[in-house]
Amino acid sequence: MVGAGRDERAWVRGAQAGSASDFEALFRAHWPRAYRAAYLVVHDAAAAEDVAQEAFLAAVRALDRFDSRRPFGPWLHRIVVNRAIDWARARALRREVGAGDAIAEAPAEERGDPTAPLSDDVVAALASLSPDHRAVIVLRYVLEYTPGEISRMLELPRGTVNSRLRRGLDALQGAVRTEEEQ
Amino acid sequence: MSERDLRSALLGVPVLDELEAQRRTWAVVRAAYAEREPVSRRAWRPRLVIAVAVAAALVAAALSPPGRSVGGWIRDRVAGKELAEPALVRLPAAGQLLVVSERGPWIVRPDGSKRLLGDYEDASFSPRAKFVVVTDGHLVMAVELDGDPRWQVARPGPVADPRWAPSPGFRVAYREGDTLRVVAGNGTGDRLLARDVAPIAPAWLPEEGRTVLAYADTTGRVHVVEADGEKELWSARTGASPEKLAWSSDGRLLLVVTNSDRHPLYRANGRPARSVRTPASQDVLDADFEPGTRDVAYSAFDSASRRSLVVLGDERLQAVEGHIDDLAFSPDGRWLLAGWPEADQLLFLRLPGVRRIVVVDDVRREFDPGSTGASAFPRLVGWCCPPTP
Repeated sequence: MVGAGRDERAWVRGAQAGSASDFEALFRAHWPRAYRAAYLVVHDAAAAEDVAQEAFLAAVRALDRFDSRRPFGPWLHRIVVNRAIDWARARALRREVGAGDAIAEAPAEERGDPTAPLSDDVVAALASLSPDHRAVIVLRYVLEYTPGEISRMLELPRGTVNSRLRRGLDALQGAVRTEEEQ
Repeated sequence: MSERDLRSALLGVPVLDELEAQRRTWAVVRAAYAEREPVSRRAWRPRLVIAVAVAAALVAAALSPPGRSVGGWIRDRVAGKELAEPALVRLPAAGQLLVVSERGPWIVRPDGSKRLLGDYEDASFSPRAKFVVVTDGHLVMAVELDGDPRWQVARPGPVADPRWAPSPGFRVAYREGDTLRVVAGNGTGDRLLARDVAPIAPAWLPEEGRTVLAYADTTGRVHVVEADGEKELWSARTGASPEKLAWSSDGRLLLVVTNSDRHPLYRANGRPARSVRTPASQDVLDADFEPGTRDVAYSAFDSASRRSLVVLGDERLQAVEGHIDDLAFSPDGRWLLAGWPEADQLLFLRLPGVRRIVVVDDVRREFDPGSTGASAFPRLVGWCCPPTP
């Protein structure tokens, strides 16, 4: 895990004590995966930036209460992924009630060019999954958590996590296969 | 596809704008971190004071703009340039920005490209931003967005504060000394509308096809008149000196920013509505309605703390050292732009709340290229609709 271990604990303690450089080290260690995870769940660069930024701001607000003996990553990633799920669900809802049409018609530049760089078939297939399934896939294969850890982070039964992983993988493989056949 | 292939594929996805996003986020997060009140605050406060003092000395020595800092909850006086956009590379929302610097008015397009319209003093957009009305000494002129003049009116006295009526834009109001005049949108029919007017810009009711204008007189009274019929619809004594007039986008409320701690709002029929109250130690520097709402955003400078607050409705959005002289909403109301002279920065605040801040640095040079950076900070005049074809 990125940032895990002694360095990370030292950065957390330093940041809690007011060391801006330790806080910066913590940020730089965790930003890439936090942003990538958010991006792969929401498939919108601007929204991913908002999600990751809000997660880090939440981390700042809660920094003094954070137990520095515990790893920082899972705590941050839990916020990122849950907020990303909320955002993706809200966007899906907006589409259902029609507002999404306007978003879909807006120039790519205005809405953060959501899927333009997702040329990889796997990622395109990931976009076809529900936000909840995407989140589980991202937690497992991007952030490398075990199903048990994912079940605790998302407050889901372990069986639900396993089934979402299985169904997500099946859907991904099916989608990739379909695209390969076309 | 194996799980290993999947992991590899997901980790290999090029993520759009990753470094820029990281830079922007770090600017905001770092500012929030600087603002927090850690448990051990007492222990590190001396270090902060020393750091600020040293930084201030460095700033003075380097002759760089003071208070170059970013973020929403700012106490970090000397944030580095790497935290801010080095230039206005694009607007975060649709529309065009009208900025007036010592060089004259500039149009900033969504892609960040800029055009200087000419050596004019004041400017405002026509209703659909197809033209800009400008002043130059004794001239009122309408110019196209490439700077080509369309018409001009010459007056004996100095002119100021030109404002174009809402769509279809058949009238332009402006001040000549202490008089208020109106000219047709094609430059004809210039005539006197009122005398003894206060030196603040008039404000057209934003209702299509109407030519209702609000202005203040030198006694502090606000008048709302039908400009074409030269008929006064109502007037009200504000009890203080008006400094700015602004209508809500639905035309139902008129805000009168005054030099006191009470800034009254009037209904369209002239009956008093609520007031915006500010502490006695604060001077309101700019104010406007949030588009599509009746919430007022304002910036206020507190003479005791030497800080400015940006407030929207009841929510404090931003606090900075120094002044926030101008505010401008994006046409969609999703961004609030604030000009911060002490830091030489523009702050684009993503609403609601402050979900994100985009900071643009070196603003003086941006709008006064080739200068030493000592010129006046440009004024943010408006952020208007995209141009019509």
